[in-house]
Amino acid sequence: MGDSTGSTKHLVEIDDVSKNFGANQVLRGVSLSVDRGEAVVIAGPSGSGKSTLLRCINALETIDSGEIRFEGRSVSAAGKDVYGLRAEMGMVFQQFNLFPHKTVLENVTLGPVEVKGIDRSQAVSKAEELLARVGISEKASASPADLSGGQQQRVAIARALAMEPKLMLFDEPTSALDPEMIREVLDVMRDLARDGMTMIVVTHEMGFAREVCDRLVFIDEGVIVEEGPPDEFFTAAKSERARDFVDKILHH
Amino acid sequence: MGDYWNVLRNNFPEIASGFLMTCRIVAVAFLIAMGVGIFVGALRAAPSKMLNRIGLVYVEFFRNIPLLVLIYIVFYGVNQADIVSLDRFVAGALCLGLYTAAYIAEAVRSGVFTVGRGQMDAALSLGLTQREALQKVVLPQAVRTVIPPIGSLIIAMTKNSAILGGALGVNDILHRTRQIYNDNFKFAETFLWATLAYLILTVSVTIIVRKLETRLAIRR
Ligand SMILES: Nc1ncnc2c1ncn2[C@@H]1O[C@H](COP(=O)(O)OP(=O)(O)OP(=O)(O)O)[C@@H](O)[C@H]1O
Ligand SMILES: [Mg+2]
Repeated sequence: MGDSTGSTKHLVEIDDVSKNFGANQVLRGVSLSVDRGEAVVIAGPSGSGKSTLLRCINALETIDSGEIRFEGRSVSAAGKDVYGLRAEMGMVFQQFNLFPHKTVLENVTLGPVEVKGIDRSQAVSKAEELLARVGISEKASASPADLSGGQQQRVAIARALAMEPKLMLFDEPTSALDPEMIREVLDVMRDLARDGMTMIVVTHEMGFAREVCDRLVFIDEGVIVEEGPPDEFFTAAKSERARDFVDKILHH
Repeated sequence: MGDYWNVLRNNFPEIASGFLMTCRIVAVAFLIAMGVGIFVGALRAAPSKMLNRIGLVYVEFFRNIPLLVLIYIVFYGVNQADIVSLDRFVAGALCLGLYTAAYIAEAVRSGVFTVGRGQMDAALSLGLTQREALQKVVLPQAVRTVIPPIGSLIIAMTKNSAILGGALGVNDILHRTRQIYNDNFKFAETFLWATLAYLILTVSVTIIVRKLETRLAIRR
C-alpha cells in the first residue's frame, strides 16, 4: 500500500471514523490513538458501538468514512493486505469462538501453521509454551468442549498470542464467564499488559480497568464522550452520561 | 419357497456381478457427488455474490432436470456430437454424481449457516483468508452437521442408480435381474433378490452414516 502520510508515532490511529448499519449510525466521527505498550479500556452502554469499533480496527467490519491506520498503514484501504494486517492483531471474543472440531493445541497452532507457514513441530512447541503461560498445559489434547469457560477463554488468548501480535483486541472477554472464572482470565490479561502488550479492551471490569489500564475511553451512541485515566472516570466523570453509566455499573 | 432359492442358485453369478456393478456405480457417483457437492456448497456460502450465483445456477440446473433426461442428454447427446465417446457406465455415474451433488451442495450450504459467524470471525482474526477460513474452519464443521442429511441423499442416490440399468443397460442389479426374468418369467421369485440386494446396500449406507456420525461428532 506504499507510503503513509500519517505519522507512525502511534500504533493505532482512528481518524474520524463513521460506520452505519443501514440507517443505524453506529459510529459517528470516532477519533482515537493508541500508543505502543498502552492498555486502553473502552466502556459504554450496550449498543454504543464498542464491539463495532474493535471489529473495524481489524477490518472485520468495513467503515463508511474516516480512516484507521495500524503502524501508519491504512486498514480501510488495505485491500488484500488486510490478511497480513489481521495477522498482526490478536482478537479475543466474548464467546471465545474456539474451533470445536480441533483440539486445544490445534486451536493454537492453526494460525502460525496456516498463516505464517511455520513448521508444525516448531508451532507445537510454541503453543505448548503459550498454554503453559496461560496455565492450561495439561489440557493441550482436550477438546474445547471439555474445558470450563475460563479455560476456553485462556486458550483463546493463547491462540491469539501464537501469532505474536503487536496489538490485542479484547471484546468483553469475561462477560460470558461465571464469576469465579473471571479472575483467572483477568490475571492472564494483566500479565500481558505488564509485559508491554498493546491492548484495547472492552470491559466493564472496573477493578481491572483501574489497576491495569492507562486510559479509559467512554463511548455512547457511537461518539467518544470522554477519555482519561480510569481512576478519574470512576470517581469524577465529567459528563452526565458517564456519571449515569458509572452509577449503573457500581450498583450492578 | 423352493422356487425362490432355485432362482438364486441358478443365477447367482449374474446377481452377484450385478450387485458389484451397482456398488461400483454408487462408489464412483459418491466421489463425484461429494467432491462437486462440497465445492458448489462452498460457492453457495461464499461471501461473493458472483460465486453464490454460479453455485445457484448449478444447483437449479441439476435439481430441475429429471435424472433420466439428464442421462439421455449426456449419453446420447455427447456421443452423437461425436466429440468424445462416453462409456455407458461413465456417462451414467457422472450424471448420477453431478445430479446428487446439487442436493449435497444445498445441504452443505445450510450446514455452513449453522456454523456461527463467530467461527468465521475467529479464523479471519488470525489472518486466514476467507477461503482458508472456509476450508479449515467452517466447512469441516459444516460437513459434520450435515452427515445425516447427506446420508439420506446417498441412500436416494443408491436407489437412483437403478436408472443406469433401466435406461442405459449398464449391467447392474436391475438390468441383470431383468435379464434373468426374461429367461424364466418368474417375476416375484426373481425380483425378490433384486429388492434384497438394494436393501443390503441401503442398510449398509445407513450403518456407515451412523458410524461416521458418532465418530465425527463434535462435542459442544
Ligand atoms: N452486523 C450488524 N448488522 C446490523 N446492525 C448491527 C450489526 N452489528 C451491530 N449492529 C448494531 O450496531 C449497534 C452497536 O452494536 P455493538 O455491538 O457495536 O454495540 P456494543 O457497544 O458492543 O454493545 P454490547 O455492550 O451490547 O456488546 C447496535 O445497535 C447493533 O444492533
Ligand atoms: Mg459488544
